[in-house]
Amino acid sequence: MADFIRNPVVALPDSNPEAHFSEEELVFTPEEKAKIVDYVAQYPTPDGAVMWVLWLAQEKFGFLPPEVMRLVATELSLPYAQVYGVATFYTQFFKEKKGTFVLDVCTCFSCQFCGGYDTLAYLEEKLGVKRGHTTPCGRYTLQEAECLGACGSAPMMQVSNGPYAYNLTPEKIDALLAAMEAGKPLPFVSVTLPQDEDEMGGNRRTDAEAVEHYVVPPQAKRTQ
Amino acid sequence: MTKAGDWQSYRRVLLPPVKDLHHLDVYRAQGGYEALRTVLNDWKPEEVTAEVKRSGLRGRGGAGFPTGLKWSFMPPVKPDVPRYLCCNADESEPGTFKDRQLMEYNPHLLFEGILIAGYAMSLKACYLYVRGEFSSWITLLQNELSKVYDAKLAGSNILGTDYSMDIIMHKGAGAYICGEETSLMESLEGKRAYPRIKPPFPAQSGIWGYPTTINNVETLACAPIIIDRGGDWFAGVGAKKHPGPVLYGISGHVNRPGVYEYPTGMLITDLLEIAGGMRDNKKLKALVPGGASVPVLRADMIDGVTMDVESLHEAGSMMGTAGMLFLDEDTDMVAFLRRVARFYHHESCGQCTPCREGTGWMENLITRIDDGEGNLRDLDLLLDLCDQMEGRTVCALADAAAWPVRNTIKRFRGDFERRCRPSAWAVNT
Ligand SMILES: Cc1cc2nc3c(=O)[nH]c(=O)nc-3n(C[C@H](O)[C@H](O)[C@H](O)COP(=O)(O)O)c2cc1C
Ligand code: SF4
Ligand code: FES
Repeated sequence: MADFIRNPVVALPDSNPEAHFSEEELVFTPEEKAKIVDYVAQYPTPDGAVMWVLWLAQEKFGFLPPEVMRLVATELSLPYAQVYGVATFYTQFFKEKKGTFVLDVCTCFSCQFCGGYDTLAYLEEKLGVKRGHTTPCGRYTLQEAECLGACGSAPMMQVSNGPYAYNLTPEKIDALLAAMEAGKPLPFVSVTLPQDEDEMGGNRRTDAEAVEHYVVPPQAKRTQ
Repeated sequence: MTKAGDWQSYRRVLLPPVKDLHHLDVYRAQGGYEALRTVLNDWKPEEVTAEVKRSGLRGRGGAGFPTGLKWSFMPPVKPDVPRYLCCNADESEPGTFKDRQLMEYNPHLLFEGILIAGYAMSLKACYLYVRGEFSSWITLLQNELSKVYDAKLAGSNILGTDYSMDIIMHKGAGAYICGEETSLMESLEGKRAYPRIKPPFPAQSGIWGYPTTINNVETLACAPIIIDRGGDWFAGVGAKKHPGPVLYGISGHVNRPGVYEYPTGMLITDLLEIAGGMRDNKKLKALVPGGASVPVLRADMIDGVTMDVESLHEAGSMMGTAGMLFLDEDTDMVAFLRRVARFYHHESCGQCTPCREGTGWMENLITRIDDGEGNLRDLDLLLDLCDQMEGRTVCALADAAAWPVRNTIKRFRGDFERRCRPSAWAVNT
């Protein structure tokens, strides 16, 4: 965040960078537009829906170059500068093209001392790419992440802003990479609470199928 | 003496041992949403707030502010002025992972708590702000929320009464600062999430300028329990001045890390034992009792210390989020602090100079020491930097960055000095 102020990661609004997407590609489908209308209805002003629509756009285009931000701005009738400002504030909005799979390895706090950096080093070696970079084949981007809120299952990582993988070991990482190579969606894994283990022999959520890989969730039905 | 009382026979209420409790029908079969029904049918809104006050519940989001008191700050109801609740599920404090487990196992307790809070303060809607990394949990919550709407437990005319309230999910996108209450509101409004100067406080002017209350997930999940069992029951659990059940998120070099539900006021040594003791029979070196922002405690400082605001304050730390990190004797405290400083540097929103520049300086100085190129006087420079940052910024992130730095250096000064080159010049401050 603070870094963006000194070193903007995308061209500033007043310059004219080369577009990644053509005019024909830069449209929302009627279904997407209906979704956007729903998002907007949830807030007193359309501004509130910016993050939802940026998520939607990122899911569709893979990342958020200036022309996509402009599309979002037009769709919500907001100034481009505001959308640009929001998109560049958050780390999960990708301002540049990433690999098919983005591996966010947590190296913060608990993970630091439970093998977070070992995991990162193992992946660097295995994928032949340094942290913060994408493999030449364009399949994997390896990143160092701040605490992802799963410190009890350290070391852990998140894949493409979606599923978590816990208690990583070299074998587990190999299996995960093999599954990704085979194009299998990673499952949602439920963490067993230690007390549940003692009192009821374990308790995991069984509705893994309810979580799709990299999904923008549907909306709850509204009152009006 | 522990203040937790007879914790061995404590029965969990936030995360009770019930299979598939996240299903609406299972939750209802356990008596779920009955507290909401009772409140809507038989209680006046101010009676709910009074009961929460009586329970002594303090916020579980880090600051530990009394919840009933916070609710009573909402101005009198005016027609045409909507009032809002923000549920803070941005959980990004390093070492904290309890809200995620609560949303995974007992989402309906949270929804019921939100609706009860909404009734107590006559609110129009609640924005449930979940950090973007929890996208799987957002989907899970959304699925259950749809069922809540279908069962007429949320939306218009809840349970056939004339009370209506919406619960609306909002997805963050990876910014620690959005956990700060005013920053969260800016983020909801679709702006860069720069914290606001207070006053005005959220109860006067919150999201879109409307009266707003903001509470943590675990705090709101306590509401149905307070209604169900009574404020007096709640006040009788755990430490007197900081009562109730609490989710301890235990991580680090212990045998069985994870989220544990116990009363407040537990002895830290008991909790370590519950978590299976230290890994590989190593000795404890340091403990962070409540997430990265709170001062670290040395192993010799935890004897007789219990997990509640009073005892931890006496010991020289804070309760924070009750996300406890245990570190063993081999831990390199310089590397620890370097990573903590990096976190704050990365997450500073950049609005205030002392914070934006200070966190960067901190990281640079500690990195230099960690690389063996630091001078002894750098330690004093760091402490001076902490003084320059604390209390001089818009939000508490700068303080939260200064506390661990100051206390880690003070409490593990030897570890730092061994890594520094001696320097003849003192720091001029
Ligand atoms: C930098 C910073 C980060 C914070 N992050 C969180 C957070 O992730 N989750 C949370 O519940 N509270 C967080 N808080 C505390 C909130 O500002 C606020 O006090 C809390 O949500 C109030 O809820 P409570 O009274 O129920 O505890 C943070 C505060 C600061 C200063
Ligand atoms: S203290 Fe830091 S995070 Fe908080 S408003 Fe100032 S610059 Fe932003
Ligand atoms: S420290 Fe890695 S998930 Fe919290």
